[in-house]
Amino acid sequence: MIHRVLALARKELRQLFASPIAYVVGTAYVALTGIYFFQHLVSYNQLLFVYQSEGLTGGGFDQGTVPSQINVLNEVFVPAADDFGLFLLVVLPLVTMRVFAEERANGTDELLLTSGLRPWEIALAKHGVTYLFVLGLLAASAIYPAVVVARAGLGFEHLFALYVGQLCYGCAIASIGLACSSFTSSQIVAAVLGYSIPFVLLDFAWLTNTVSEEVAGRLKEIALLSHYGSFPRGVIELAEVTYFAGIAFLGWLASLTSLELGRAR
Amino acid sequence: MSARIEAQGVSKRFGSVVALDEFSLDVAPGEIFGLIGPNGAGKTTFIRILTGYWLATEGDVRVDGVSVTRERFRVQARLGYACEQPKLYADHTVDQFLRFMGEVRGLGGTRLRQAVGLSVERMGLESVRKRRIGVLSKGFRQRVALAQALLHDPALLVVDEPTVGLDPAQQIELRRIIAGFRGTHTVLLCTHQLHEAESICDRVALLDRGKLAALATADEIRQGGSLEALFLARVGRAPEVAVSK
Repeated sequence: MIHRVLALARKELRQLFASPIAYVVGTAYVALTGIYFFQHLVSYNQLLFVYQSEGLTGGGFDQGTVPSQINVLNEVFVPAADDFGLFLLVVLPLVTMRVFAEERANGTDELLLTSGLRPWEIALAKHGVTYLFVLGLLAASAIYPAVVVARAGLGFEHLFALYVGQLCYGCAIASIGLACSSFTSSQIVAAVLGYSIPFVLLDFAWLTNTVSEEVAGRLKEIALLSHYGSFPRGVIELAEVTYFAGIAFLGWLASLTSLELGRAR
Repeated sequence: MSARIEAQGVSKRFGSVVALDEFSLDVAPGEIFGLIGPNGAGKTTFIRILTGYWLATEGDVRVDGVSVTRERFRVQARLGYACEQPKLYADHTVDQFLRFMGEVRGLGGTRLRQAVGLSVERMGLESVRKRRIGVLSKGFRQRVALAQALLHDPALLVVDEPTVGLDPAQQIELRRIIAGFRGTHTVLLCTHQLHEAESICDRVALLDRGKLAALATADEIRQGGSLEALFLARVGRAPEVAVSK
């Protein structure tokens, strides 16, 4: 059982890295996160410089003091988390769109589904490898911020929690994308759905004025962003991790259902 | 090691389209059995039900008494399937692909190495073992498809249109390979090539519009003239129409 899942996972990894998409996505994500993290650090340093500057006595600031809201959390980690989350949302559907749809389009799903592989094993291997890719992507992108944070000697707990949050959030988005890919043989359709569904689930703030308070509250509970905010603050809450794991599980279940439904077509 | 196939009243409907209509069949162990018929006759539909890829709307197929509807994984463990227009991973080398399929079939270590080696040798793939499947000729891809189907030494070999698009030399070679399984494996061969079915099959079933139109042994076919004559008599149109795909 595990032997078969591992064999399929190796095949998935080979295929993932045989196409340029993994390298393009990886490079783009690492570059974007590095540039934006650097930008937030620069902005934070500029603010500190301005507030601590001796020559600003006429500007309404108390000389040499920095307001409490100007801190590394608010100026670096919270905006970085928002940016990194958005980048994941942009790059991951490009990876997930291929995973099931390509098998269907090439007819190799017939090969897999008649070889004795259980549909749950196929879904597990494909989801597992994609989560592994998300982990690799985040690990590569964490090098630069980790070095900066380690040298500065502050905010390491924020960075760690931010990346745990990113992993949870990334796996949930990837899982939605994989579920979309499993229901179609068109990679374009898979990509469009893989973008649309997470964007709709991201935040329901745009709906709050048109629905009752109770409904707005419920929508907030299921919105992705509502569960992502605590991580950059250095807090890893079990409830939030469970929420993202739940989405990942539902995505896997949807992929499995799609494989089983294909038999009864 | 060979298997018996028993199909009982198998039907498959796609909405209002009836692809297979109460089709029944009994294939004896060790037999090379041909399924022929025009396009859309239901040959591939039957094969997909037999291999567990599709569910029958009605009826069931049993392989050595095991129901494919209820225990498809047990049936799949006993069969090897080389599908029409070989569906393979073009970015894998022949060796990588066969190792992957062997692992999926539960082989490992020495058994896997031996199985891959034997399949490569049987199909004459030594010269292309390290080459990517995507760059191979159609003939070699067909051989790779057959090689993966044989890795776990299945009792039943299901082959769908193995010689489509091959040059005459490749066709002859592949027929020779398939004929070599007579007696040791049960082979279900689905083909458009009437002379192919005539030359290597022990029995042939003719499907038309999802129904069994005729069932004949090789001797009966020879006595009646040819498979082409049988085809014309039962289907009522020239087999060339069916061959053009």
